[in-house]
Amino acid sequence: MADTQVLQNVLRDDQRLPRVPEPAAMVIFGASGDLTARKLIPALYDLAAQRRLPMEFAVVGISRTEMSHEDFRERLRSALEEHRSGQVSDDVWESFSKGIFYLPGDSKKPETYDDLKEFLKQLDEERGIEGNRIYYLSSSPSLFSTIVERLGEAGMNKGENGGYARLVVEKPFGRDLESARKLNEEIRRYFEERQIYRIDHYLGKDTVQNILALRFANGIFEPIWNQHYVDHVQITVAEDIGVGTRGAFYEEAGALRDIVQNHVMQVLCLTGMEPPVTFDADSVREEKVKVLKAIRPIPEDKVDEYAVRGQYARGWVFGEEVPGYREEKNVAPDSTTETYVALKLFVDNWRWAGAPFYIRAGKRMPKKATEIAIQFRPTPHTMFTRGETRGLEPNVLVIRIQPEEGISLKIGAKVPGSGFEVSSVNMDLLYGTAFLEEAPDAYQRLLLDLMLGDPTLFIRADEAEGAWAILDPVMHAWSQSKEIPTYPAGTWGPEEADELLRRDGSEWRRP
Amino acid sequence: MIGETRESPGGGPMSVEQIEHELAQLRMNEDGTLGLRASVLNLLVVTDEESAGEVSRSVSNIAGRYPSRAILLISDPEEGEKNLEFKLSAFCNVRGEGHTQVCAEQITIHAEGPPAEHLESLAGPLLISDLPVFLWYPGPFSPSAPEFAGMASLADRIIVDSAAAGDCERSLREIAGLLEEDEMPAIGDLQWAQLSPWRSLAAGLFNAPERAGELGRLRRIEIMHAPDGECRALLFVGWLASTLGWRLVDAARTGDGREARFAGPAGEIVAEMSPASPDAPFRQVRLYSEDYGFEVARSRDLSEACTTVTRNGELLAERTVHLGKFDLGVLLGEELQFRGRDGIFEAALRAAVEILDL
Repeated sequence: MADTQVLQNVLRDDQRLPRVPEPAAMVIFGASGDLTARKLIPALYDLAAQRRLPMEFAVVGISRTEMSHEDFRERLRSALEEHRSGQVSDDVWESFSKGIFYLPGDSKKPETYDDLKEFLKQLDEERGIEGNRIYYLSSSPSLFSTIVERLGEAGMNKGENGGYARLVVEKPFGRDLESARKLNEEIRRYFEERQIYRIDHYLGKDTVQNILALRFANGIFEPIWNQHYVDHVQITVAEDIGVGTRGAFYEEAGALRDIVQNHVMQVLCLTGMEPPVTFDADSVREEKVKVLKAIRPIPEDKVDEYAVRGQYARGWVFGEEVPGYREEKNVAPDSTTETYVALKLFVDNWRWAGAPFYIRAGKRMPKKATEIAIQFRPTPHTMFTRGETRGLEPNVLVIRIQPEEGISLKIGAKVPGSGFEVSSVNMDLLYGTAFLEEAPDAYQRLLLDLMLGDPTLFIRADEAEGAWAILDPVMHAWSQSKEIPTYPAGTWGPEEADELLRRDGSEWRRP
Repeated sequence: MIGETRESPGGGPMSVEQIEHELAQLRMNEDGTLGLRASVLNLLVVTDEESAGEVSRSVSNIAGRYPSRAILLISDPEEGEKNLEFKLSAFCNVRGEGHTQVCAEQITIHAEGPPAEHLESLAGPLLISDLPVFLWYPGPFSPSAPEFAGMASLADRIIVDSAAAGDCERSLREIAGLLEEDEMPAIGDLQWAQLSPWRSLAAGLFNAPERAGELGRLRRIEIMHAPDGECRALLFVGWLASTLGWRLVDAARTGDGREARFAGPAGEIVAEMSPASPDAPFRQVRLYSEDYGFEVARSRDLSEACTTVTRNGELLAERTVHLGKFDLGVLLGEELQFRGRDGIFEAALRAAVEILDL
């Protein structure tokens, strides 16, 4: 160093020391809601305790509920204790909570933003926040546009004194293509795309990121990862639970909006994408968008050929009788909301042309399972006689995301004995259980990435719109019909879903 | 997660094939299914009888994060008669709804007499192929020990504890000497691993851009270390000096402590290192510039540390965080994360040895 002025903190230039974000204030709109207490504050507390947050960090909660700073802190502390009984350090909480503040205010009113702006300036001075701002939209989606507009009008879409301003948008990103486009347009009137972080916590899960590791850190898979060798792909996101207390929400959403538009489409993109040149935000997201653009549109008049919906009826799940969807709390007795979706999609590009992607997502399935099954083509010719290959099926590579992360490969092997009988054997590798340590919570990972300015695991506008564009005709066609197939709880969906694959000579795997 | 240790009685000499067969038997569950073996590395441990129990526990503790084949070598070359004894165990964990069993393996070898000088001939054939090899000396170690060169030739990385022998000066010099040898694999020190949270917290004091400049204006460093923390204090000062470009001018012992004077970009920097009495309430690092004071302090009894920044005596920022655990397993786990040479450690070590040499 030539002079006394050290412009950067060179003590941090060490791969052994964790990266710590710049000072920042995180403003949470809708702070009295469940997400703040259940997910955001616990994740931030953990990051603070693990020395991953800068000393100069503050949280400012905003909602209409009248509360003092102290009331807000108490409320968050209670929620934290509820989820982390006995694991909250008094000293660490005391230190962390000194940086938590609350402003009661109506997010529709401009004066709320005047107060907020003043308060943040005060925090800049008192806590050395350096003008960096993160605005977290955790309120009702109906308020997203208004909040963004007010922030823009108040000039808060830019950080103070050269700092940054970032906007976090929780899913859902719209209800359909039109509303998603409108929301994106409204947000981009005031914030540039590089400032916007659309969060889908699913991408923060280690297990989902492992799809990329498996595909692109292992050279053996790439040469056969295409339509020359793959017959079709099945993606399953199955839950054994029902809608529980979320009946009102689910009536508005349904499985297509709640799971398929975001989680399932993300898994499809990660499975089908080309190798990005580098693991950075633009390269990864560019490749995901290319997959979405390559998905063949489903004509509205042919939705029945490509899509099946269903709704669970009363049935038995793991020895317990459970109510049907229409019997659930806050669900209309004549509801046609889908709790199950199956789709046949074609990715029309060089890699996947002709190899369908069958996807299904549903509630009240026999068990919880998320997996991607790559079904390979059978051998072009078999030298064994039919009798000898009775138990032999084509190879299947299954990437299991949950509950037990790993891969399994179905291969043909000779049955021991004097004859020559060939049968299928499953080889299981549970790489998830090789590392017995629990992965960090998805929100912890994503909040840290957000503060470090890494949007790789966040959704870009064209990704969200691309996913809606594929599903829009399906939603529209279904909205015209008052009939919905049902399936007994504890089964793998309606008969129509089986028929969807049977027409192609295939069948759903049993996860 | 449920863990279970399974042991084979072992006994006298065994062949490599017998050992592999016996380990496979240990992975066998009562219902006849075979527990999976998960391995990300080979861990060779050279230890003595007295420490073997604690070392074995530490290895079991890290099996979750670094499932490995661990080979514990307990050697006594002084014993005249040749004697070899083997003990095998598997630490199996159950996790997940499918109750999948995953096992890490441990082979303990007692070697007396001539074989104790050729431990590499025992360890080499038992290594799992294609996985990196870590050689760990949890206790005192000497590069001139008869087995060292042979064992080092098997390793991709050597992990030592510069404080284990109770002679910090000698240990640091010996480790620094190894760095200069061409064929020597990368080296890590558990004392350096123990410094990581301290270094992270100290670096965090200068995160705010207006305070980063104070790094170039530091005048005085005060370290009050634990009674066994001299190596860490030296490495910490060595880290600051090598990272911030300070040149050592003078160094001297001051009673139980040390003082080093450096020439920095803005003038002289004085670093004082002194041991705290065993019952002193805090261990702390203080850094001072003209206007600012920076402190990281840990209460002797708590796992939390408090950091503060003051300007002209006025408190600017303060926070309390977990400092983390410092048991053997945790420190070893941190060292196992690194495969190559750690340039920052090596520079800090060289700077620390320079203080000793002056």
